[in-house]
Amino acid sequence: MTETQQETRMDDLALIRRAQAGDQTAFGDLLDLYYDTIFRFAWKWCRHRANAEDIAQLACIKLANSLAQFRFQAAFTSWLYRLVISCAQDWQRSQGRHEHDDLADAEPSAVEARGEDQIYLLQLLAELDDLGEGMKETALLVHGEGLSHAEAGVVLGVSESTISWRLHVIRKHMGKREAKVSESV
Amino acid sequence: MKQHSFEKLLQQDAPPPDPAARLAARRAALAEFAKANPPVEIAPAPERRGVFQALLGALRLSRDNDHGSDSMPLFSRKAYFGAAASVCLAIVGSTVVWKTFQQDPSVGQLSARSDVPAARSAEVVSSEASSSKADAAETAVAGPESSAPAEDARLADAQARRDQDKLAEKRAADEKKAEELMARMQAIPEPEDPVIEQYQEQPIETPAAAGASAAAPALAKSGADNAAGAKEKDAETQEVVVTGTRGSLQASMETKRDAVGEIQEVVVTSADRKPATPHKGVAPPARTARNRSSGDSYSYEPPPAPPPAQITSGRIGTKIEPTSVRPQPEGNDKFEHFEVNSIKQPAIEAERVSTFSADVDTSSYSFVRKQLEQGHLPQKDAVRAEEMINYFDYAWPAADSREQPFRPTIVVSDSPWGKGRKLIHIGIKGYEIPANKRPDANIVMLLDVSGSMNQPDKLPLVKQSMKLLLGSLKPTDTVGIVVYAGAAGMVLPPTPVGEKERITSALDSLTPGGSTAGAAGIELAYQLAENSFRKEGLNRILLCTDGDFNVGIAGTEELKGFVERKREKGVYLSVLGFGQGNYRDELAQALAQNGNGVAAYIDSVSEAQKVLVQQAGASLFTIAKDVKFQVEFNPATVAEYRQIGYETRALKQEDFNNDKVDAGDVGAGHTVTAIYEITPVGEKARMIEKSRYVKQPEVTGNMAEYGHLKMRYKLPGQDTSTLIEQPIAVDSGRASETIQRDVGFSTAVAGFAQLLRGGQYTGSLGYDDIIKQALATRGEDAFGYRSEFVQLVRKADAAK
Repeated sequence: MTETQQETRMDDLALIRRAQAGDQTAFGDLLDLYYDTIFRFAWKWCRHRANAEDIAQLACIKLANSLAQFRFQAAFTSWLYRLVISCAQDWQRSQGRHEHDDLADAEPSAVEARGEDQIYLLQLLAELDDLGEGMKETALLVHGEGLSHAEAGVVLGVSESTISWRLHVIRKHMGKREAKVSESV
Repeated sequence: MKQHSFEKLLQQDAPPPDPAARLAARRAALAEFAKANPPVEIAPAPERRGVFQALLGALRLSRDNDHGSDSMPLFSRKAYFGAAASVCLAIVGSTVVWKTFQQDPSVGQLSARSDVPAARSAEVVSSEASSSKADAAETAVAGPESSAPAEDARLADAQARRDQDKLAEKRAADEKKAEELMARMQAIPEPEDPVIEQYQEQPIETPAAAGASAAAPALAKSGADNAAGAKEKDAETQEVVVTGTRGSLQASMETKRDAVGEIQEVVVTSADRKPATPHKGVAPPARTARNRSSGDSYSYEPPPAPPPAQITSGRIGTKIEPTSVRPQPEGNDKFEHFEVNSIKQPAIEAERVSTFSADVDTSSYSFVRKQLEQGHLPQKDAVRAEEMINYFDYAWPAADSREQPFRPTIVVSDSPWGKGRKLIHIGIKGYEIPANKRPDANIVMLLDVSGSMNQPDKLPLVKQSMKLLLGSLKPTDTVGIVVYAGAAGMVLPPTPVGEKERITSALDSLTPGGSTAGAAGIELAYQLAENSFRKEGLNRILLCTDGDFNVGIAGTEELKGFVERKREKGVYLSVLGFGQGNYRDELAQALAQNGNGVAAYIDSVSEAQKVLVQQAGASLFTIAKDVKFQVEFNPATVAEYRQIGYETRALKQEDFNNDKVDAGDVGAGHTVTAIYEITPVGEKARMIEKSRYVKQPEVTGNMAEYGHLKMRYKLPGQDTSTLIEQPIAVDSGRASETIQRDVGFSTAVAGFAQLLRGGQYTGSLGYDDIIKQALATRGEDAFGYRSEFVQLVRKADAAK
């Protein structure tokens, strides 16, 4: 337990404690410290600035409400990831059921700057999302954020082997996709 | 390559956040924080409003939400107060029902028979209360966000009182429903309108509602269908509102499972943010109410400190990952322990003959693959060389008639890991039944739907696999479905594959839940298969499980005996294993062997594809049963021999000619390969030195043969076996190119299997050598299995 706590800086822990006690400035400081983390992860999740901002804001608000539930038993960032993920999922649902059409329509605008790579990745993320629950999140956490399987397991509330299994499925999927692409060429 | 770039792309960093957005988020969060942490003691008023909003969310009666972040504070706040609401409502509801019990003896009887329906109806009532209350809440909250919370509270209290009166009127109807539910619980119903679909049709407008509905598919049980069916006319969705922290929730869910074997939709409302502040008039905590209404069956713990994993609480419908409901047990996969075959000397009479049974199972390979994919070496007993070798298809020439369904192919080659030693390959390929000549099939799927199947690689994969199987059956074949969990039940009577829709929708409707206890799943399956028995056709039960074989007959031996007796009657059993952590391989093997079937381990859709589509004939249609091999080695030419694999299939020498002794079965198109490593007389590679004291007489005799192969098999439906004989020539001449190639590949697999088991006899053979040989002999590899093998060897190399 102490090990995971050490991952979060001592100062931050003190800050969290104060915020939990209802200290408004402490909470403000906490937001300043972690907004970047939240936003960046949200961005990776949806790859769209405005949407990421929405999600990040949602996450901040949720943080205000649920910070008291943080029990210092996991690293704060792990906890935060999970919070952002659940906000992102809520957000996606709130965007309505026609999400897939949206994606197709919005692609040009949804993809900023980096062009084809982004489109490709966006497609992939959507595919992963379809592949099964938690697939996209697993890929994001492990490949994108560099979490270990165990850490990702903590964030997503599943066992380490489930994470490994999901990555295996993702890998397989990528392989199949690859095969399809080369076939069609 | 692409995979790599995919990972790279994912690592790509996000752009820096926009300061304005940051500021906006900060402001919103701080405002929220201020509300959540008021300077004074927690005022009950805002809590109430949270309650109503939470209910709105939970019941999906919510008002329109103009997408966008600015409306979010409203919805995110409500969540952690939801608990309080649920508590109150549960109490109101159960109190009402309790009174009903006291008044109405018939309901009392119900609860005497089982506590469950009583509790159930309590919840039914309570959820009705919540829905009607939510109507009130809607009006209450419809005003501007800043409307006086106290007013809301008053309104709602009044409404709640009115609701109570209404509820009293509804009692009669509820009793009826309780009875109906009770009746429906007796059997697992034919699934109709799965609950999940129902949810998708519901407009989802708030994040909270979405959360609630997300929780639903994960937890909805077949019972939810019942409730949905029973209440259709009410156009209200039934919900069991469970209040408490996740820890106790889990406990209560378990209890419910055990008690009911099914459960209605559960909306999880976390209550650990603060203890629910009692509202006036409804002070007692939830447990009292529940205990009163349902006896001790739901002894409800007061919410303990929340577990660390509880992160998402604070909103209604906290999503519980399927896996977190039932943590995956790890490392409990059971394999039969065995020692690898040792070196034998034909010069010793007792060791001259090697007898074994055919083995067409492949589960060992799939299991090993799964372990390696996860980066660790499999436990040694999971590695059965013969199953790994037989996983692949080899080009052994097939027989061309059904009467003599196979002929042996014998190839002698040099051993790659022992200089001077030789390998003898004995391969057979079962006769392939042309698709138009396949017998009619009568298949009963016996599916484990217990709670432990609630993992992506279990029940969902089972469903997919079974759908794949449908594709390889004829329209006139029939498929029935029996499930077992808390209760066994027939989901689908034998239905022609032509009516595919019905079968797939029945499969789709299955949801995992309940303990694997109890009822006579396997007996029911056999009964079903016997009812639609096809005399000229194939009658087979496909048992899909993750290892819980608790199918109604206690005791492994008893189960085996049962399967064996049914086999005599012509109904066979195959076992498809899924998932890991609790997989009981040895039992799967034993059952399949006793049931004249195959045991396969399905770890992915592509494996299902292989077993159930490409090799459907092999997996389903037995062309020969009790296939036994016996090799007598010639002491004049063979100094030592060792069989690779087949340890668990060894037979006694005298069993070979005994038709009563069961042995492996071969399906249409199956290949079976056995490999012996021998040291010819005169080679220095001998492992066992000659005795100093006993002078072994020089054996002279037939120098042209290494040995003599005998095979016995029975055609399906026959009781007496047929013998095939063929000498193993020292100089068998060169085999064809393809056969040479496949000998090479199977040798590579054999080498790999031996290395995984410790490489006792393989000298300096390394993974590199195996990769090289496998690549050289990969051949056409239309389905990519052999390439996958190469990848596996690489993984093993990395994992060692």
